[in-house]
Amino acid sequence: MALRHLRTIRVVTSLLLFLPALFIFTDLTGVVPPAAVTVLTSLQFVPGIVKLFSGLALSAAGLALVVLLTLLFGRVYCSTICPLGTLQDLFSRLNRKRNSRRRFLFRRQNYLLHYGLLGLTSALALGGSLFLLNLIEPFSSFGRTVVTLLRPVALLLNNGTASLLGAAHVYMFFTVPLHIPSPVAFALTSVFAGVLFTMSYMRGRLFCNTLCPAGALLGLMSRVSLFRIVIDKAACKDCGLCEKVCKTGCIDSENMRVDFSACVGCFNCFDACPTVGLRYRLSRAGAQESSLRPVNRRRRTLLRGTAGAVLMVFPGKDTLRAILPVPTGKSRSKLPISPPGSGGTGRFTSRCTACHLCVNACPTQVLSPAFLEYGPGGILQPRMDYTLSTCNYDCVVCGQVCPSGAILPLEAEAKKLVQIGKARFVKDDCIVITKKTECGACSEHCPTKAVHMVKSEGLFLPELNEDLCIGCGSCEHPCPSTPNKAIYVESNPVHLTAKKPESKKAEPQVKPGTDFPF
Amino acid sequence: MDRRTFVKQTVGGAVLAGAAAASGRFSRLFAAVPPVPYDLVAVKGGEPDAMFDVAIAALGGMTSFVRKGQKVVIKPNIGWDVTPDRAGNTNPKLVARIIRHCLDAGAKEVYVFDHTCDDWRRSYKNSGIERAAKDAGAMMAPGHTESNYHPVSVTGGKVLREAHVHELVLESDVYINVPVLKHHSSSQLTAGMKNQMGIVWDRGYWHRNDLHQCIADFAGYRKPDLTVVDAYLMLKQNGPRGVSLDDVVTMKTQLVAKDIVAADAAAAKLFGVNPDDIGYIKIAAAQKAGRKDLENLNIKRIAL
Repeated sequence: MALRHLRTIRVVTSLLLFLPALFIFTDLTGVVPPAAVTVLTSLQFVPGIVKLFSGLALSAAGLALVVLLTLLFGRVYCSTICPLGTLQDLFSRLNRKRNSRRRFLFRRQNYLLHYGLLGLTSALALGGSLFLLNLIEPFSSFGRTVVTLLRPVALLLNNGTASLLGAAHVYMFFTVPLHIPSPVAFALTSVFAGVLFTMSYMRGRLFCNTLCPAGALLGLMSRVSLFRIVIDKAACKDCGLCEKVCKTGCIDSENMRVDFSACVGCFNCFDACPTVGLRYRLSRAGAQESSLRPVNRRRRTLLRGTAGAVLMVFPGKDTLRAILPVPTGKSRSKLPISPPGSGGTGRFTSRCTACHLCVNACPTQVLSPAFLEYGPGGILQPRMDYTLSTCNYDCVVCGQVCPSGAILPLEAEAKKLVQIGKARFVKDDCIVITKKTECGACSEHCPTKAVHMVKSEGLFLPELNEDLCIGCGSCEHPCPSTPNKAIYVESNPVHLTAKKPESKKAEPQVKPGTDFPF
Repeated sequence: MDRRTFVKQTVGGAVLAGAAAASGRFSRLFAAVPPVPYDLVAVKGGEPDAMFDVAIAALGGMTSFVRKGQKVVIKPNIGWDVTPDRAGNTNPKLVARIIRHCLDAGAKEVYVFDHTCDDWRRSYKNSGIERAAKDAGAMMAPGHTESNYHPVSVTGGKVLREAHVHELVLESDVYINVPVLKHHSSSQLTAGMKNQMGIVWDRGYWHRNDLHQCIADFAGYRKPDLTVVDAYLMLKQNGPRGVSLDDVVTMKTQLVAKDIVAADAAAAKLFGVNPDDIGYIKIAAAQKAGRKDLENLNIKRIAL
């Protein structure tokens, strides 16, 4: 097979993986079954690594495949599987001026920045804070960008169509509630998208070799890849075309060297080479030609020092919590509630890469990106927002789609006993007390009857059985009391197990077989 | 009427009468008083669809309610994401049978919807009603979109003066209310009148401003053309959603009436409470939205 076909294969593969990735983040009505979503996301590198920490070794096949691919062919992940990579290629293509001349230039990679950031990110992550990782991790950044900026557009299109057809009583489409994204999520995501666009528009895959932690880690692996791209000095005509089409700027045509650790495996160079000057070569055979630039020893020492220092400064969770605290105190109802399956706010914030796949998939749209509720370290990680909606009793979708294991998959029966918070009743704010009329909206919606109504001075007043409460928000959301809800859910920072509701077998007052009672 | 028509009809009438007399049906022709106008039909002992067949027959058949080419909206209770055996929603077999009767009576279109409490898509699906209604030939309409609800003034309402009602109810020729009989934590009982909260948008207002009064006020606004109370399975406790199968009792009963208050009064008795103990039944009767004095009503009782 001629090497120039590799580029075509790469383009086709990347689109085949990109379009489904785009769709699962804009799938407004749950068209894609969770199992299919899991298969698609299992190839994503960083969520896969994070998932390992949850002991989900069985689902590590995708991760193993990525590692294997990298060890064989280098960072092909970056040009095929990574949706943010393909997105950058699309941005880059918009630059027509450059397209006409197709000019990229070799640039020395900023290893200090890239690996330094990787070290810092890893250290923070190991210490329990995904703050930095979540800002720059490619899959999650892609997801957030799509959910925050593109999903509303898809939603408006869908709702417009649904309304038009609905007016004619054609119910092929239906409206999906639009929750205005939090200004912070919107601002942060817009800034990220803007920076990413500028970087890729100007300099191709600059992001992948400066900020991206997945790129850095895969780059380290690709240093020992079995096959590498090398310039065959004998065949090379020294035309420099390969350098001009290299969007990472990793080909130094003048010195006939390729910085393979920075190569994202786009294969544009094979396509551009008029001869067979470029080869995929077994590393041992091509050791001479392919060698990286002479290693800057001083720089390497500096790098090691930085990484070491980073690891020493951040030895563990406690130190981290001090810097980027996750609130665990008891500030009334101000504590955020993490979704069922996440174990609690502490575990959740140290496992969630904030890709917002669950935010899109949640059928009741109760999951909403946090601002500072989880603390500054938990920015953009989803929390349960009962002002928006409630958690549907029998629904377990968020855990089924979560690619990082932050929300573990639960069986519906198990989920019904996971207590993510407990309801609190503020009697003095209750309609029954303030207006002296019946209400009971809270108890009506409560799926476990943890909130039940008891007769009190001629009216039915809510009463709580905390043991049965699972903290789903079915009471808080419909509570009509204004301005303050008379019933609200207080978070369980560590999720607990609720008691299974039990009741006596009901007996009819009017026995079967008797006459009508009227 | 011009002379020609008059002559035609008179002659035609005479011929028909003559023919009837000749065939010995003379007496029956003149004895054909309209069918007994039952205020309420109560059936027990059968399957939901079979009970509806006899009930609607006792009321003169669905043609008494649905004319050819009319648009019908059926409002079952699809409030909850629970399976049919949990009795949280109306029995799907009953809904399907009502749809069939409407279509057989010549209805042009039959729509089914509810403004659900749980996630609407899960409720439509898991209640079994979506499948049953579609198979029977009706269209399932979503009820979760605010823009489909339009403001109407509730004349005669004491507290509820305005409500946003779903457009299908506003524009349909026939509106059939098909509640399931249940215990209800807020209003103590849910049947016909309470079920109507599923055709309005802002239920919070009702909860905030005297629930019983609002339910009764609304009953005076738009009376369903027919109310069918499904008491095949009945949620006796932990309503309106129910927690487990322990909450369900089998009654195999159905109540059909034009008068929504009468239907609720009978439903209350069937449930085992006095209609006067249910706030909204008492208020609705006092506001003349219907009658709760079952002893004075013409009730057809059928045991299968």
